[in-house]
Amino acid sequence: MYPSNFETMRVITNNLERCSEALTALGKVVDPEIGLNIVDLGLVYELDFDEAARKIYLSMTLTTQFCPMGAAIIDLTKIALETKFPREVIQVELISDPPWTHEMISETGKNFLSK
Amino acid sequence: MVQTATSTDTFQNTSFKVVLPFYIYGALAFLAGTLLLVLTSDSFTHHYFHPHTLATTHAIALGWGTMLILGASHQLVPVLIEGKLYSVKLAAGCFILAATGIPFLVYAFYVFNTGWPARLGGTLINVSILVFLINIAVSIIKSKKENVQAVFIFTAIVWLLMTTLVGLVLVYNFTYPLLSKESLNYLPLHAHMGIVGWFLLMIIGVGSRLIPLFLISKYTNSTLLWVIYALINAGLLLFMCSFLLFSLESVYFLAGGLVITAIPLLAYFCLKSFQLRIRKKVDAQLKISLLSVLMTVVPVLLFIIVIGASLAGRDSTRIILTYGFTIFFGWITTIILGMTFKTLPFIVWNKLYHHQAADGQMPTPKDLFSNRLFQAMATSYLLGFVLFAGGILLANTLALKSGAIVLLLAAFMYNLNVFKICIHQTLKPCV
Repeated sequence: MYPSNFETMRVITNNLERCSEALTALGKVVDPEIGLNIVDLGLVYELDFDEAARKIYLSMTLTTQFCPMGAAIIDLTKIALETKFPREVIQVELISDPPWTHEMISETGKNFLSK
Repeated sequence: MVQTATSTDTFQNTSFKVVLPFYIYGALAFLAGTLLLVLTSDSFTHHYFHPHTLATTHAIALGWGTMLILGASHQLVPVLIEGKLYSVKLAAGCFILAATGIPFLVYAFYVFNTGWPARLGGTLINVSILVFLINIAVSIIKSKKENVQAVFIFTAIVWLLMTTLVGLVLVYNFTYPLLSKESLNYLPLHAHMGIVGWFLLMIIGVGSRLIPLFLISKYTNSTLLWVIYALINAGLLLFMCSFLLFSLESVYFLAGGLVITAIPLLAYFCLKSFQLRIRKKVDAQLKISLLSVLMTVVPVLLFIIVIGASLAGRDSTRIILTYGFTIFFGWITTIILGMTFKTLPFIVWNKLYHHQAADGQMPTPKDLFSNRLFQAMATSYLLGFVLFAGGILLANTLALKSGAIVLLLAAFMYNLNVFKICIHQTLKPCV
């Protein structure tokens, strides 16, 4: 399932167009336990594009700081961005504050989980 | 926005090479334990202090329940404390020592040789648990995060070490009079330190984190968990003191009452987690884990009946045997059957697929085992459990034998699924 309405996502970015491309790529990264992608889960906080340094900075969180699948989700996130932007350096940082809450799940995500 | 950045390197899971042997050993011990049940089912019509019953109980309690929990703990404790496991070598040492010691101990009980096989087995198991305790204690000390679950787990391991130490003393007491009474008299102490101190605390510690996590529940209540922790430990310490020092019936009731009070509180915690879940669809593996919480009602009721029978001066041997069976083959086995398939596929999946691009070809952890086989296993397990428990209560050898055979079938199906996960090969996209 891919994120459908990026406009409603509360992702901070300095480049809306490239952010949309990045979120499409990140929409393929699915939490293996929940079955929902990390964008609709609301795990992506910030996407910054440094054109001069050819660098993409992503800050994200996990549904719980204890997430046993944390390592896999981070690796898959990096791979998804590296595949989409092969010439850029990808930097992923985990943010624990503010922590993830269920309010961060998109409407699409909530519909998916309520089935 | 206050942001606390965490290095992504902190999410280094314990190597699957360390964890998998525990799961495989546990699965084989479950098969061996149920096979013992088939071969010696008649012994369940006698007193619980029977060589075959002791052998089966230790195969299940140590080989199955403890080994699987040890394996899962090496994986989950670093996650809970947000740190790394202190030593992979100590984890491997813990496995080798316990894996060697358990067959010696089970064999010694089966043939009732309380000489060197029992002593060697008991010693190896004690050293293994000590190694495990050191590894987890240092991991917790080195981590920055303290939480109620880590305290539950650490305390449970301390109780496990005390249980195995008492067990070793009881083995030696068969030959050398170390204690004032015969070893048989200390069985309730040894058993309840293991059941309540080790299994109950450990299962609550891990379950109180994993159940809300899997349900994506909004419910958190660490105060309630601390109350449960205090009730269980106070009850167990009181029981231990009373047993060893003053043996007062009223104190036993108080101790039992404290522990029993914790059970509905735990059920309340699970119920609230379930009610306040965001994820509406609950899979079969989680359902069977939640069922185990309900199944604690059975041994609690039997415990109350045993107390009543004891007060009335009636023989309660069969009820005590059923009580033990419903704990090891009921409550503990049910939660392990469910949680195996909520942890093992993820451990293997993490290893095989976390470096692969998400391309639609990638299976999910649930695809690593057969859900139909899981459903068949769960059905035959529940049928076998009811038949065997009924067989003990009614002293019916046909029910005992048929229940044991159905449980063996469940263990066989469990093993098929566990090995299906463990030998899973990475799927390659078609060219």
